[in-house]
Amino acid sequence: MSLDVLAAGILAGGLYALIGLGISLVFGVLGLMNLAHGELVIGGAYLASLLVVDAGWDPLAALPLAMAGMALIAYPLQRYLLTPLLRGSKSAPLVATFGLSLLAQALFQAAFGTHPKALPASYADTGLSVLGVRVQTVYVIAFGLTVVLCAGTHLILTRTRAGSALRAASADPDTAAVLGIDVDRVYAMTFAGAAALAAAGGVLTGVAQSFTPSSGLPLLLTGFAVMALAGIGSVGGVLAAGVALGVLQSVSVSLFGGGWRDVVVYLAFFLVLAVRPQGLFRKAYAG
Amino acid sequence: MTPTPTPRRWWPAAALLLSTVVCFALGGVLDHGTLDLGVTLLCYLAIAQAWNILAGFGGLVSLGSAAFVATGGYAAALLLVHTGLSWPLAVAAAPVVAMLLALLLSAALLRLRGDYFSVGTLAIAIALQALIRNWDWAGGASGVTLPVDAVPSGGNLFQLAVIVAALAMALTLHARHSAFGIRLAAIRDNEPAAAGLGVAVRRHQLAALLPSSAITGLAGAVIAFQFVVISPDGVASVSWSLNAVLMTVVGGTGTVLGPLLGVAVVYYGLTRELQSEQTLSLVIEGVLLIAIVRFAPQGVWPLLCRTARRLLGPRPGTGRPVTGRGDEDETVPSGTETLAMDVA
Repeated sequence: MSLDVLAAGILAGGLYALIGLGISLVFGVLGLMNLAHGELVIGGAYLASLLVVDAGWDPLAALPLAMAGMALIAYPLQRYLLTPLLRGSKSAPLVATFGLSLLAQALFQAAFGTHPKALPASYADTGLSVLGVRVQTVYVIAFGLTVVLCAGTHLILTRTRAGSALRAASADPDTAAVLGIDVDRVYAMTFAGAAALAAAGGVLTGVAQSFTPSSGLPLLLTGFAVMALAGIGSVGGVLAAGVALGVLQSVSVSLFGGGWRDVVVYLAFFLVLAVRPQGLFRKAYAG
Repeated sequence: MTPTPTPRRWWPAAALLLSTVVCFALGGVLDHGTLDLGVTLLCYLAIAQAWNILAGFGGLVSLGSAAFVATGGYAAALLLVHTGLSWPLAVAAAPVVAMLLALLLSAALLRLRGDYFSVGTLAIAIALQALIRNWDWAGGASGVTLPVDAVPSGGNLFQLAVIVAALAMALTLHARHSAFGIRLAAIRDNEPAAAGLGVAVRRHQLAALLPSSAITGLAGAVIAFQFVVISPDGVASVSWSLNAVLMTVVGGTGTVLGPLLGVAVVYYGLTRELQSEQTLSLVIEGVLLIAIVRFAPQGVWPLLCRTARRLLGPRPGTGRPVTGRGDEDETVPSGTETLAMDVA
């Protein structure tokens, strides 16, 4: 096993962690399995492509705008569609996000066509040599950005008033509401934040590889795999789980060939769910 | 309103038997295009009804129908291509293999609660599609072509589809009217309470999962015969899961006749009308799914029943409250309460 394979796996894992973080946040706080998360990721990539492909921006310059854009789209979705559903029957929100996922795929198709797109950047295909290990520049950037975003999320959750409100709403929404916390708003803000994280992941994914309107589903499952590995509520656990998954995938591709990269992730996901449904690093956001 | 146990009646079974015989006979009369359409609708009905048994009556919201369609389809196809068995044997093998897969996965799947179960089944559907794509013996990404003269077509295929759909309907009737169904609904409504009343939770869920998978696998075999060329993007596509959910949710989850209505509405209203407008069809399907769970979570069929009853007014002379559980297939009885009354 060469170090290159290991390094590539660790770095790719950063991206998985970024995608998993949003899913984990939404499930941890809202108790909502968001089947449209993959489309939030791809939506971020398409939003950025408007600036990058059509206006010639650098993807990293377009990234904050894509994050803001997806957050703006996500906020009303949660506030006016999903939150009311959360109070209804058990499976309604899940089915609704399934519908949202389809709807988003169809809208991507209508707006951008079905041919693969990519975000061109000078660092998209170049490599770096660190201590004799060859790595792709874009994955180094992605990993660095993921660590920053994870740290930022952790700090917001633990050090700000908004974070306290979020943890309160997560632990006990009814009591939080009695204490004057606008739970509906907290939910919508959480979803918007998760969408922003997803968009960041989408932009970086778009630079590293091409994407189509239906690329969201594999990303969604990778994100779920990260969440299942990490359990709910620990930002550091999400990062560790993403890296573990990246290494697992990278190693299995070098052993069995490229066709198996997704199969390995799904099987790992399923096994973890089956053996340890609460995840490997479970901790409550409140704790 | 206290739900009472629904007594087993003779007429739903009789109606099912009659319509099965009539449809079966139609297999020798109808023209080729109608038969082909019929096979498609009946397969959708079987898959939707199998999902309904699992999700509507058992509370296990699966997104894995596609996995069992693929398993059944590929099992039948590979047996035909590689062993040269006759098609009835290949069809008989499909539900067996699908059930084996379900049994194998159930150890993991039935440990999962609520949404975790849904995501687990979705992962299985996607993983299976990826597996088949990499499996050269099964034709890999390009799939397998069935020997055309060895598979049933036209009237025979239609009759096979009629039997599969009838089995699905019969199973749903059983889930709706039997003590087994009441216990299953009790688990759906309140698992700890049901377990406390002595229901073997895992065994009942397995007893819903296995036949549901078998029916879906059977439908998969029929679909494989209809398609002739089967590929990971065809029979293993997640759109089978989507259609099962969409058709049942639109018609009415947990009702016997809802999925029948849902198949007709979704297929005639969307899939067929918008065959040339794939994107628009997908948009409408997505919006429809969201709109139904948002504004009519029970589905269209219970809505129609209620409207009809309001228009007709209370029946004279019986003195029975209008909302009482009668012949109409409005909603599923609340299992835990019914069971509690039974036990008491």
